[in-house]
Amino acid sequence: MTTVLAAEGLNKKFDDLVAVDGVSFEIAEGETFGLLGPNGAGKTTSISMVAGLLEPDSGTVHVAGTPIRTNSTDGRAEIGLVPQELAIYPDLTGAENLRFFGRLYGMRGEELEKRVAEVLEVIGLTDRKDDLTREYSGGMQRRLNNGIGLLHRPRLLILDEPTVGVDPQSRNAILESVEELSGQGIAILFTTHYMEEAERLCDRVAIIDQGVIQAEGTRRELVSLVGKKDRISVTAGGDLTGIARAAAGLSGVTEASASDHGIEVLTSDAATLLPSLMSCFSSVGASITGVQIFEPNLEAVFLHLTGKALRD
Amino acid sequence: MSKILAIASSNVRRLLRERSNIFFVFIFPIALILLIGAQFGGDFAPGVGVFRADDDPLADAITEEIQSENSLAVTGFESSDELTEAVERGTVQAGVAIPAGVSGLAEAGTQVEVEFLARPDGAGPQLQSIVSAAVARVMTPVAAAQFGAEKTESSFDEALTVARSQTAMAPGLEVETTAVGDALFPSTLGRFDLGAAQQLVLFTFLTALAGSAALILTRKLGVSRRMLSTPTSTGTIVSGEGAGRWAVAMVQGLYIIAVTYLLFRVDWGDPLGALLILVAFSAVGAGAGMLMGAVFSNDQQAGGIGVVVSLGLAALGGCMLPIELFSPTMTRVAHLTPHAWALDGFAELVRRDGTVADILPELGVLTVYAAVLLVLAGWRLRQVLTRP
Repeated sequence: MTTVLAAEGLNKKFDDLVAVDGVSFEIAEGETFGLLGPNGAGKTTSISMVAGLLEPDSGTVHVAGTPIRTNSTDGRAEIGLVPQELAIYPDLTGAENLRFFGRLYGMRGEELEKRVAEVLEVIGLTDRKDDLTREYSGGMQRRLNNGIGLLHRPRLLILDEPTVGVDPQSRNAILESVEELSGQGIAILFTTHYMEEAERLCDRVAIIDQGVIQAEGTRRELVSLVGKKDRISVTAGGDLTGIARAAAGLSGVTEASASDHGIEVLTSDAATLLPSLMSCFSSVGASITGVQIFEPNLEAVFLHLTGKALRD
Repeated sequence: MSKILAIASSNVRRLLRERSNIFFVFIFPIALILLIGAQFGGDFAPGVGVFRADDDPLADAITEEIQSENSLAVTGFESSDELTEAVERGTVQAGVAIPAGVSGLAEAGTQVEVEFLARPDGAGPQLQSIVSAAVARVMTPVAAAQFGAEKTESSFDEALTVARSQTAMAPGLEVETTAVGDALFPSTLGRFDLGAAQQLVLFTFLTALAGSAALILTRKLGVSRRMLSTPTSTGTIVSGEGAGRWAVAMVQGLYIIAVTYLLFRVDWGDPLGALLILVAFSAVGAGAGMLMGAVFSNDQQAGGIGVVVSLGLAALGGCMLPIELFSPTMTRVAHLTPHAWALDGFAELVRRDGTVADILPELGVLTVYAAVLLVLAGWRLRQVLTRP
């Protein structure tokens, strides 16, 4: 597949703070690439450099083969940026906002009007196109914000946390539209701190923390980093060390250890192990108050790689 | 160019969409021009109240003489207290109280005292001289008649008739007044002409500075940053924002010129000259508004400061009190503001029938102001837009 975006060795410092440190990734046509990390991890700084809004201290960005620089508009027509904030005029209507940005993308006359109508249809705002956007709900404003990024049919769509602050219904609609766009061959760079969104949408994910990409790959590749183990977390009372020792002796248990409030058990198949584990705990006199099973996911990968939870 | 127009037109559209802006941009300036014209323009005659203590022929004569002064509006009062209160409250600018029995007093050779009342801070001295002259015209024949009656066998009334007829025939003494230099405000100046130019300058600048809040909001919303992500250069965005503010000032200025001409027949002088002053002054306002929008990061703060700055510069620059009434020092200070230069330009066109050639110095100064402000604003806005 054709590479649409190639970011290589991006570095950015703000005074003494290293915001982005050696970030490199590529996105192919029709691929959705996720930058997953907590707030302040360097996601927005990275996409600002990719969109040509921020000059990297070092490193290069190429979109469709064109170098992206802050002092040049070359290649910008290939990029559609959907910023995290609602970057729309509240005192213009939805259609006027689209027309305004369409003209900045060089669109004119009938072509512009036709495309505005198409995008309004896609984002479901045709009926409200002549209303001022300050009268829109939060979800409608977010949809318009996203629609502006699509207006000029970009080859690369950058979505910076596009679901922040929207209701579940609008969130689902946004995620569905991203899935559709990916199917149309647009390369999508998607930043989020919601693990579920990254798992649902992204063909590949880069886990970023403190400005550094900690790992990159498909979900399967990333999960393999934590050994593909299920984790059973049992909240229990009694001699936790003794209980853990007993659990460790069971067949199928990879590792069992006592925590503050119970026992953590790693296994390759939690569902099969659970009955025998409960019997074991009962036989050693443990008083069980809760059981949770965690299948390996990106949250676990993040925890494994950074030593902290994604929402810390 | 098309992108500059897109940014500029969105600014104008956003301005016109706010109802409060419609009031302040279009209604309020015209209302103010109407009010100022009504207050200070037109045929104003100072009011003089007259109280006569009784029906007396000489009192009648004094009253008629004062009434014959075309420049005064004379009103009769029933009591001395009413007259005093009217003067104190400013209902009339001065009062004349004629005592009882003035004819008898004059005939007996007793001094007649006509009381003149005026506030210390008004036009009292000027009115006193007019009233004194009127009273003197009545009393001079009386004094002559008294003298004649004393020295001849005739009665006072006979002597008075002779004195009045002789006074009428006597060659008069005329004080010839010659105006030297130009009048500050020529008589041809319409009642709305001065105020219209002042309010145009005040409001176009005020609106341009208020526009800084819209620019800050555009930045805060992230719209400016989003514009930068399009194939639009920083220079184009800066130019578009500047053109937007300039267009807003021009729309308001042209509206004020058109409406005051149509409604009040305000004379703006040479149309091309007036247009050029408006173009240059709107550019000054656009530069100032954009500079504020680039320097401040809080739209409410910028809005408040914008009003204070624009009203302060307007007062200093002669939009509230004509520069012609300033002291020489304050006149020099006033010309540190672009307002004073714009008003000078309009004065040249309207009061001295100037042409574009006559206002070239004013246009030059305004252009320099505009260039400096626009360059500073562009530089600062470029910095703000491209910083992380």
